[in-house]
Amino acid sequence: MADAKPKPPILEVERLTKYFGGLAAVKDVSFEVREGQIFGFIGPNGAGKTTLFSIIAGALKPSSGKVRSRGRDITALKPFQLVQAGIARTHQIVRPFREMTVLENVKLASHFGRKNVTSDSAAEEHAMQILTWFGMETFAQKSASILSVGLQKRLEITRAMATEPDLLLCDEICGGLTHVETAAMLDWLRRIRDRGTTVMYVEHDVKAITAVCDRILVLNYGRKLSEGAPDHIQQDPAVIEAYLGHPPGRRQEG
Amino acid sequence: MSTSPAPLPIRLLAQWRTFAPSWMILAGLAVMPLLLSSPNFIRLLFVTLLWITTSVAWNLLGGFAGQISFGFAVFYGIGAYTTALSMNAGVNPFIAFLVSAITAAAASLLVGLPTFRLRGPYFAIATIGISEAVRVVMTNLSFTGGASGYRIVEHRAFRQLDHYYTALVLASIAVAFSVFISRTRFGLGLNAIRQDEDAAAGLGVNPYAYKLGAHALAAALTGMVGGVFSRYAAFIHPQGVFGFQTSVHILLMPVIGGIATIWGPVLGGVVFGIVEEQIIASFPEIHLFIYGSMLILIILVEPGGILGAFRKLLRRIHGRR
Ligand SMILES: Nc1ncnc2c1ncn2[C@@H]1O[C@H](COP(=O)(O)OP(=O)(O)OP(=O)(O)O)[C@@H](O)[C@H]1O
Ligand SMILES: [Mg+2]
Repeated sequence: MADAKPKPPILEVERLTKYFGGLAAVKDVSFEVREGQIFGFIGPNGAGKTTLFSIIAGALKPSSGKVRSRGRDITALKPFQLVQAGIARTHQIVRPFREMTVLENVKLASHFGRKNVTSDSAAEEHAMQILTWFGMETFAQKSASILSVGLQKRLEITRAMATEPDLLLCDEICGGLTHVETAAMLDWLRRIRDRGTTVMYVEHDVKAITAVCDRILVLNYGRKLSEGAPDHIQQDPAVIEAYLGHPPGRRQEG
Repeated sequence: MSTSPAPLPIRLLAQWRTFAPSWMILAGLAVMPLLLSSPNFIRLLFVTLLWITTSVAWNLLGGFAGQISFGFAVFYGIGAYTTALSMNAGVNPFIAFLVSAITAAAASLLVGLPTFRLRGPYFAIATIGISEAVRVVMTNLSFTGGASGYRIVEHRAFRQLDHYYTALVLASIAVAFSVFISRTRFGLGLNAIRQDEDAAAGLGVNPYAYKLGAHALAAALTGMVGGVFSRYAAFIHPQGVFGFQTSVHILLMPVIGGIATIWGPVLGGVVFGIVEEQIIASFPEIHLFIYGSMLILIILVEPGGILGAFRKLLRRIHGRR
């Protein structure tokens, strides 16, 4: 094992920068995500976490910098091409197809995801499997518009997982959830990781992030402030100063 | 658990209940001219069938995919002129209709490639611009007679029923197509694009390609209607087939009936076929104004159109679901 050539990382971000007008939402950020990790991102409101995810998922074009997956340059790929490359995301503000049932929402992802199921019955079967895996099968025939916030967040993940990604980007999936729901959600993340999907996870809740992540990157004003194992992050003076040091009330909710 | 799907005839038979009303309507329309042979009535049915077809066609893009185009006169007009030119060159009319479908679909790609980079209202406005530009070009194109129009010479006796049954077949094809698409992966993708284009793209749908596809299918059908109409009218001019009011008609019907449904556009076509001539005859100066007002009213009061209002009513009668 020691002699084996290390696999190129599932995600390699190199000096990524994104300007909105004069504002640098993401500035010179570089990092690597290894397969099998849960890789966390924290940072105050407006730190650039969602922007970073949107660039990786192809929804935004970076001003400069590169994104690679397993050595392949994926910077210029469109969102649907990234799905085929094995990268899927959830949205901070959930975006279910409200005129569809829960099952149809997931079926769409089964159809168009990496499995590329073309037959209707096969797609439905695949979607039901994923729904069942996430304990959502009882909601299959419900309209997506009537789900509770917690379930909508779960649908968001279920749908992304139905594309069969190797890398899942989760943007604040616990925002607005109760403690019990949050604990359950973190469990799902671990199970997703154990199932073979690498996870990138943004959350405001430092406790949640440190509980579940193998590695954490701290963003501040678009820049990388610190990166390392949870213990390392919690003891980094720069992080404590810029983020953890703030009175807790100020950084609640995003 | 996994069951292999039954063969198509069996599946169709199993769904006969769903389609029974459609078959009955089709049969009714097929025998209608034999029972009521008033030429005026058949003409009205003919025109209505053509409108239904464009309405259903527009709905593939404007309804299913949610891309509101004000530019379908381009395809209607191109279809009309293609058939006219082909027939005068000695081509069989039915071959000419197919050629119309192809030229209209090709034109839809030229229109769609730049405009589908735009979204929502910007797309709609761009289609108006292109449509008007095409009309101006056609008004000045000398080999088609420019503004004074173009005449078809068909060396066959005019038989109204020929035209009627052509329109009936075309309308049936359009509806069957619409039903089929709504049940496929393609239809599901269009549906997702309408509801949230970015979310759809994030799950693997290629919105640009899908819009181009829906546009081409809609244009092909609309082009054929233009062809059937021009053969019937035997005389076409840019102000008519390429006119802005043609685009407005084509868009108004599905909106009246109920966008993004199967039967809404059909219903809209029927309503429009019945009232169109009355409106134009009674208010020749301001009929476009009336259409505009209708459009705004529907969007404000009941975006689901007649079908949407009807469904709401049913729900109220049956109580909340
Ligand atoms: N489309 C946009 N246009 C202009 N500015 C934007 C856009 N999207 C984000 N921004 C700005 O970029 C900065 C980073 O925003 P981003 O949403 O990435 O932060 P975030 O870390 O996800 O914040 P939160 O924790 O509140 O979700 C903010 O200042 C934001 O206002
Ligand atoms: Mg965010």
